[in-house]
Amino acid sequence: MTLAGAFVFRGPRAAVWELLHDPDVLAAAMPGARQLVRTADGRYEGVMKVGLGPVTAAEFTLVVTLIDEVPPDRFTMAIDSQGTLGFTRGSARVALAETDGPATTMTYTADLQVGGRIASVGQRVVESAAKAMTAKGLEALQRALDDRLARAREGAGS
Amino acid sequence: MPPTVGKRVPRNEDRRLLTGRALFVDDVRLPGMLHVAFVRSDHAHGRLRSVDVAAARARPGVVAVYTAADLGGYWQHAPLLVPPPPVPGLVFHACTQVPLARDKVRYVGEPIAMVVAESRYVAEDALADVRVHIDPLEAVVDLERALEPAAPRLHEHLDSNVAATVHQQTGDYLAARAAADLVVTRRFWYDRGVSAAIENRAVVASWDPRAEHMTIWDTTQAPIPIRNGLARLLGLAESQVQVIAPFVGGGFGPKIMMFYPEELLVPWASRQLGRPVKWTEDRHENFVATTQERGQLHDAEMALARDGRILGVKDVFLHDTGAYDPYGLTIPINSQCTLLGVYKVPAYDSAFTAVFTNKPIVTPVRGAGRQHGVFVMERLLDIAARELGIDRVDIRRRNLIPPDAFPYDHGIIFQDFTSLTYDSGDYRPALDQAAELIGYERFVRDEQPRLRAEGRQVGIGIVNYVEGTGIGPYEGARVTVEPSGLVRVATGVGTQGQGHFTAFAQIVADALAVDVAAVRVVTGDTREFHWGTGTFASRGAVVAGTACRAAALTVRQKILDVAARRLGVEPERLELAHGRVRVRDHADDPGVPYGELAAHANPLRGAVTSGVEPGLEATAYFGPDRGSTANGVHAMIVEIDRDTLLARITRYVVVHDCGHLINPAIVEGQIQGGVAHGIGNAFYEQLVFDEQGQLKNGSLMDYLLPVATDVPDVEMVHRQTPAPGNPGGLKGVGEAGCIATGAAFAQAVEDALGGRLEIREIPLSPNRLFELLHDTASPGDPA
Amino acid sequence: MKPAPFEYIRSGSLDEALAAMSAHAGDAKALAGGQSLVPAMNFRLAQPAVLVDLNRVPGLDHLDASAGGLRLGAMTRHRALERSARVRAEAPLVADAMPHVAHIPIRTRGTLGGSLAHADPAAELPAVMLALEAKIEVRSVRGVRTIPAGDFFTGLFATALEADELVTEVTVPTRPAGEGWAFDEVARRHGDFALAGVAAVLTLDARGAVSSARVALFSVHERPVLAASAARVLLGELPTPQAVAAAAEAAATQDADPASDIHASAAYRRHLTRVLVGRALSRAAERARPGA
Repeated sequence: MTLAGAFVFRGPRAAVWELLHDPDVLAAAMPGARQLVRTADGRYEGVMKVGLGPVTAAEFTLVVTLIDEVPPDRFTMAIDSQGTLGFTRGSARVALAETDGPATTMTYTADLQVGGRIASVGQRVVESAAKAMTAKGLEALQRALDDRLARAREGAGS
Repeated sequence: MPPTVGKRVPRNEDRRLLTGRALFVDDVRLPGMLHVAFVRSDHAHGRLRSVDVAAARARPGVVAVYTAADLGGYWQHAPLLVPPPPVPGLVFHACTQVPLARDKVRYVGEPIAMVVAESRYVAEDALADVRVHIDPLEAVVDLERALEPAAPRLHEHLDSNVAATVHQQTGDYLAARAAADLVVTRRFWYDRGVSAAIENRAVVASWDPRAEHMTIWDTTQAPIPIRNGLARLLGLAESQVQVIAPFVGGGFGPKIMMFYPEELLVPWASRQLGRPVKWTEDRHENFVATTQERGQLHDAEMALARDGRILGVKDVFLHDTGAYDPYGLTIPINSQCTLLGVYKVPAYDSAFTAVFTNKPIVTPVRGAGRQHGVFVMERLLDIAARELGIDRVDIRRRNLIPPDAFPYDHGIIFQDFTSLTYDSGDYRPALDQAAELIGYERFVRDEQPRLRAEGRQVGIGIVNYVEGTGIGPYEGARVTVEPSGLVRVATGVGTQGQGHFTAFAQIVADALAVDVAAVRVVTGDTREFHWGTGTFASRGAVVAGTACRAAALTVRQKILDVAARRLGVEPERLELAHGRVRVRDHADDPGVPYGELAAHANPLRGAVTSGVEPGLEATAYFGPDRGSTANGVHAMIVEIDRDTLLARITRYVVVHDCGHLINPAIVEGQIQGGVAHGIGNAFYEQLVFDEQGQLKNGSLMDYLLPVATDVPDVEMVHRQTPAPGNPGGLKGVGEAGCIATGAAFAQAVEDALGGRLEIREIPLSPNRLFELLHDTASPGDPA
Repeated sequence: MKPAPFEYIRSGSLDEALAAMSAHAGDAKALAGGQSLVPAMNFRLAQPAVLVDLNRVPGLDHLDASAGGLRLGAMTRHRALERSARVRAEAPLVADAMPHVAHIPIRTRGTLGGSLAHADPAAELPAVMLALEAKIEVRSVRGVRTIPAGDFFTGLFATALEADELVTEVTVPTRPAGEGWAFDEVARRHGDFALAGVAAVLTLDARGAVSSARVALFSVHERPVLAASAARVLLGELPTPQAVAAAAEAAATQDADPASDIHASAAYRRHLTRVLVGRALSRAAERARPGA
């Protein structure tokens, strides 16, 4: 499955870069993420519980490894997620470009392999679900960015 | 008494089946029985690093959890079931499956651990407790990619993914090509699917330590070889093991695959635990755990003269054998041989490579590779007809093997290890009759132009096929008259719905002059009969049926002999009718019932005549030198909706010749069912694997079987060109209905679309037609 | 396929059911017809800790005409909707949709409330209720609220229901006199999930031009959607073949946002949308009485 798209963050690129590397922010933004902990340089591990309609049982362990980092330009993530309902494995390439605003256009391409039960009986919705979760996650990240920038302005102002 | 063979006798077994009183394997409930669930690989290819079962073993209700390490010496590769045929220069690498994965997994669904628990619910709960660590490897599913030098290798002791290469040829194809007026060259893709029997597989095993006896109920098409193999592997005498295939809800081939991991492990577990153990496959498992038939990619060419005569055919193809190849080369050899069909092909050059891929194991499914050959041949003829400006039916007429050419030896080797020889056949009248019945000329001349003017897309397809049936090695039967007068027949083949309980009863009833309902047939129980191979390749009725007949005729003679001695008359003066023996022309003589003679022939006291066997019983075996060749013609009219591209088959005609019919109703059922299966494979069913070997449609929600509204009533004509190789003139018919459907459908759909598309693949679907018509095919699509 | 262990609560009244949903909020699933939930449980895709069985709760299966429209209890079985003369008369769009919902045996168990709460993007009833501007009554121990269908379906298998809420009633407002309707879908086999579908109603003014149009699409988006672009194209126009074709084109290219799956590519679904919307608008226009 290939997920590709773009999202415009309202905020400067450096802030977006930092946000995308903060495990607490990511844990809060990723739908169903229970915890995400940095276990080594560039490596995050956690647990996700994904729910979609009646599918409530999807609990996965997640390992994300950052490779090929070129701050604040781009990075690649290797993703490895396993659970009783199956697994998702692959990589995502993320590029950030600063534009007027300040705003940051994030373009992403993820090549993911989905396997196990969820792949063989869920094919009707796997792609839509991934798109929907990605969209939700990006919106949550935007809100986190708004919070962070607001606090920074307050801090600077006081 | 008038013979029943040839008549539509109502089936003996239907009452039990329809009132829910037939025993299927899952109906077996034994005290203390345990239930099994399997941990199966989620990855199509990988190194199995570790399997941690401690948590699963600790779960309440779990009795045992086994991995490869726990099997000790019992862990070994399963036997090769079908060795390759003696084709000169053949290369074959046997890589058979193992009971539980040990170092590597090679397909999604490969069993890794077996959980035995008090219920299937608990066993499935425990599956989530098992921690499997697999280091994934790149998987390969595409046939051409699998042969590339850098492709991931499934069996690392080999230097490639080649499972076999086979080259057969007759005549001189290069000369034929040089002399040809037209050479048609195309690539074809034929994909298949699962057999989707209504009953999934199941095994129950019960080891009785006191009796030192193992009873196994198994949904197998081959109970005798299973018994023999399991006895050997378990270190038991054959007589200590009984395998029963009770009523089985459809076989279609995958149930004659033998020594499935589950089949090996459930009896072993029963022995270990001293309790009965049951495993019932669920539908989701069936998609990966039971064998299926996969694709073939053909690069074929046909050389023709201007008048449409075939000068030669060359075919180079790849055959997908899945992760292991326990069933040898039956399917691709069938493809290779069946391609020749009903036609004279003076020069034939056919070479195939069987390829390992990270997908479930491939073994025969109804048709067993024949449809691939028919598809290629019939499509080449259609394309040639178009390019030469010859009518589709005419070009076929011009190439038929004439009726006086039999036995017709093609000069290549067939799946029964002998040379491919058609024993009998009469092809021209069958083709003409089918064309007549479907109204081919009228359709092409009048109906089609009229409907096209209205904007409708209708087309007609008509194709031939030939089917080798009734092959050896042999089967046997024992016929016994019991003192009650009941006639009991036992044979080694199993029954999965083919009506053996009636067909064999008819054969015996006619030989013994009893009512069909008075004949009780037992199949598939090794305790009743333990010599034979099984039900496959459309041979049950032919081979076992002939053995039943031979045994019944011997019993008939015994009846006459015993009665003659008893009544003090010559046997020639006696006649048999309705289960009684009477002196001929003594109308008022009620006669002696057979049962009385049976008792008389089995005295408890006194002396017997030397050389005479007790009772009225005989066993006979039949092994044909070669199979008998059935043939047929399929014709259909199809409409493709202009807007939605959905297909509707408005008429379906089958003219087939399977020699003499035992029971026309049973034959018609086989054909109707076969056509339904063929329609499924042509337009509905397709196993969709992604590039990493993940099956994306592992349920009947997404793997589409045609339903009753998708399948027309087949209009059938039975022709009877008797087989010379067995006294009843019988040929098999189990697979006939589905062999030609794909080819007929492709021709008809291409015709309906009025030349906008050349169809070189099966299955099709509305989505696929849309893609092909709009040239928006996605990458990774074949051809 | 056996489900994971669960606790089973058989509710004897609506209050009991709501109390159970509240006590176990987040861990409980309501069991209505079970035709979607139970297979998901058997595949272990769904593992609710608690099942609250609604099948013996009285008062949820009414099918009444009222001043405001047709009031349908959430536990009304599909088969009852299918066979109701009142539904055929008051909401023929529902009656036309019902034979496409799975198969008869499934329709004897499946319920209206269950179908809406499950919100399968390929389901017929959510789209029908969206087209008909249905009002969905929802209850919990905290009270009752009414959600218009347009606000009820929020995303892929997602609704506005809170974890402790149950759909209790659906009201289909009385439709304008002379409204035309049409329902159509394309499925591989009868009873399958649709590859694309449309539920449409429209009205014509005195001159025969389209005065209102609600065209709900299903199976071509993550939830049922109104083809707003199509409606805009058509509003104020006579429903000529050209106008209908333009509306269908707008629906296919602007309103539908289908995903690809193994049964149908996004391109094929857009094509089917174009075909079905065209057919449905023509049919609905034929059925409509101008000037009503």
